[in-house]
Amino acid sequence: MLNLVETIIDNEELQEALRRATAHAFESVKKILASNPQLMEMAREVKEAKERVLSHLDHYISMTVKKLEERKALVYLASSAAEARGIIGDIVGSGKTIVLSKSMSAEEIGLRRFLESRGNRVYETDLGQFLVQLEEGKPMHVTAPAVHMTKEKIAELVAEKLGANLSRQSSPEEIVAVVRRFLRKQFVNADIGISGANAIAADTGSIVILENEGNIRLVTGLPEKHIVVAGVEKIVPNLILAVKTAIVQAAFAGLYPPTYINIISGPSSTGDIEHKRVYGAHGPRELHVILLDNGRRKALSDERLREILRCVRCGRCLFECPVWGHLANHWGGNTYGGPMGILWTAVVEDKREAYPLTLLCLQCKRCSQVCPMSIPLAELIHDLRKEYVTKAYT
Amino acid sequence: MKVGDIIRYIVENTLETGFPVPAPRDVAYRWALNRNIPRRGRVYLYTGALYQLVPYIDASVKSMERFGRLPGLGKAARLLSRTRLTGIAIRPRRELIEWSERVVASIASLAVRNVEGLAYLYEDDRYSGVLLYEIGAEDAFLKHASRVYAALKERGVEKLITIDPHTTYVMRDIYPKFIDGYDIDVVNYLEVMKDHQASRVLKGKVTIHDPCLYARTLNILEEPRRLLASLGYEIAEAKRSRENTYCCGGPVEAFSPKLSLAIARDRLRELASTATTIVTLCPICYLSLSRARENMSLNITIKDIAELLG
Repeated sequence: MLNLVETIIDNEELQEALRRATAHAFESVKKILASNPQLMEMAREVKEAKERVLSHLDHYISMTVKKLEERKALVYLASSAAEARGIIGDIVGSGKTIVLSKSMSAEEIGLRRFLESRGNRVYETDLGQFLVQLEEGKPMHVTAPAVHMTKEKIAELVAEKLGANLSRQSSPEEIVAVVRRFLRKQFVNADIGISGANAIAADTGSIVILENEGNIRLVTGLPEKHIVVAGVEKIVPNLILAVKTAIVQAAFAGLYPPTYINIISGPSSTGDIEHKRVYGAHGPRELHVILLDNGRRKALSDERLREILRCVRCGRCLFECPVWGHLANHWGGNTYGGPMGILWTAVVEDKREAYPLTLLCLQCKRCSQVCPMSIPLAELIHDLRKEYVTKAYT
Repeated sequence: MKVGDIIRYIVENTLETGFPVPAPRDVAYRWALNRNIPRRGRVYLYTGALYQLVPYIDASVKSMERFGRLPGLGKAARLLSRTRLTGIAIRPRRELIEWSERVVASIASLAVRNVEGLAYLYEDDRYSGVLLYEIGAEDAFLKHASRVYAALKERGVEKLITIDPHTTYVMRDIYPKFIDGYDIDVVNYLEVMKDHQASRVLKGKVTIHDPCLYARTLNILEEPRRLLASLGYEIAEAKRSRENTYCCGGPVEAFSPKLSLAIARDRLRELASTATTIVTLCPICYLSLSRARENMSLNITIKDIAELLG
């Protein structure tokens, strides 16, 4: 990691992209919170709810499974990334067209590449994540995956990969229009849609997913099958809290009000013919929900690290972090980067992957201060650093 | 350089010489000679040597940047650092030495004026070991802190007046967690300063670079503003100031000078767009911002607050 820093900082295009993005993010969240003081109270409520769930996680998992099954969803518990891939691989098979909405859990288990390797055509449909796919890179921010690319670079990339008539001078509108045209076809042809979840309500088995682009409505609405992959920490006690979680996430990500909040409670159905319930009306006929552990329950037994499981992944700590502002998610593990990402890396990969990253933390505590879930991010990073350093010199 | 080497360097230097980087033995109290601050009293000025070490930290980092290694790594060089020959091992910048001694002396006179019966620790004004704590080398920190505490207790210290954020933090918040029965009262000099008589002379616009620790941990935010205002300075707030202050980049200097510098430049740009006089309250911030300034053409002055108050 330390060896990479120089190259990353010398990459002018990356530095310029990060400068533009962080300036925007800082102002937008500040404005949102100033004009909507109730959001702080809502964040506190969500934090308490998450703590409650984490203290009785197994109870809430079984409650969620039961409710999901009552809603005719097929539910799977996956203890590891490999197990999750296996389950999804079996549902999907091969030779299918799959549309993905941006899901960090899918990214975490390496789902896209896995499905491609099995002979499927897989398309990311979140614009940022689609660009990351075209670039064959990794998301550089948890809610803004293509934050590391300037408009000029994006235009070049899309022109090259999709054979579109775009140049460095093209406007963002022109770029978006090209991608929209391309992805429209994939939505219509897709056999399967795969999404993540911002929250799952234990009392109703509802999946709550937040978005602005409108791709998630199509991913979760058009294909015959919808697969949800989500970490078990996404469970909250009830539907109201699940919606609040999505609102808080949106606000602290700098996008408020969110354009769409999708609530999905089971596969689509109709009872319009003689009052007999038929599944698979206009939306999916099957809903599969994979609840992913992948290190989360183990982290629960770590008195300190467990605090990161409250994270709603708004990514605010990244935009506020001076170090992330230069390194983006290069300062991170395979999936997650920045202050929250170092801790998530310790959870879903291994503490040993997170250790060296801790040395670049300034301990300036901006992240701890802005976290809507009051996660003491800097302090937790310091704990990891302590474990690492003691090993490094003794 | 390997991470383990950097950490070992800081740990070994601190445990063997008392300082995290090679520095002369009398670096902490040289400024105090001939100043006649009493040796005994109820309340002691404690610099923790951080200001005084800044020239040596600067030289160490520069050596790492230029030669890819830290100065005086190895036994022979560590022996050197215990003698007055340290100048051979590393080359601290003269102007930084002069600046740090001037600032510490200035803070000392301010403290003497504001605290009745203030004494100074001289040889017992040891480095606090804060960097060991900050990099996470807690075993070594405990060892060093125990020595420092023993020396302070032997001296009969009941209360310390500290002068920078890192030393204040470690003595006030961290020592009590590591040392059983720790009972020293720790107050920062900015917290005991009385206002100057309200000045009618306007002295111009300054912007304050709040150190992260003062802003988000120790809550020393109003004091510098009040003191500067009472002297006639107009305070212009940077876009990110007070609780929302932005780091100078200093804390990652040991592991990535390049990243540290990039962050310092971001901050300096923001401060320079606020006022032409930038006031720092921490020697590490001063060093980071001054270094950032070297390759930027900015028409600004960077001053420690004591240079304005003194």
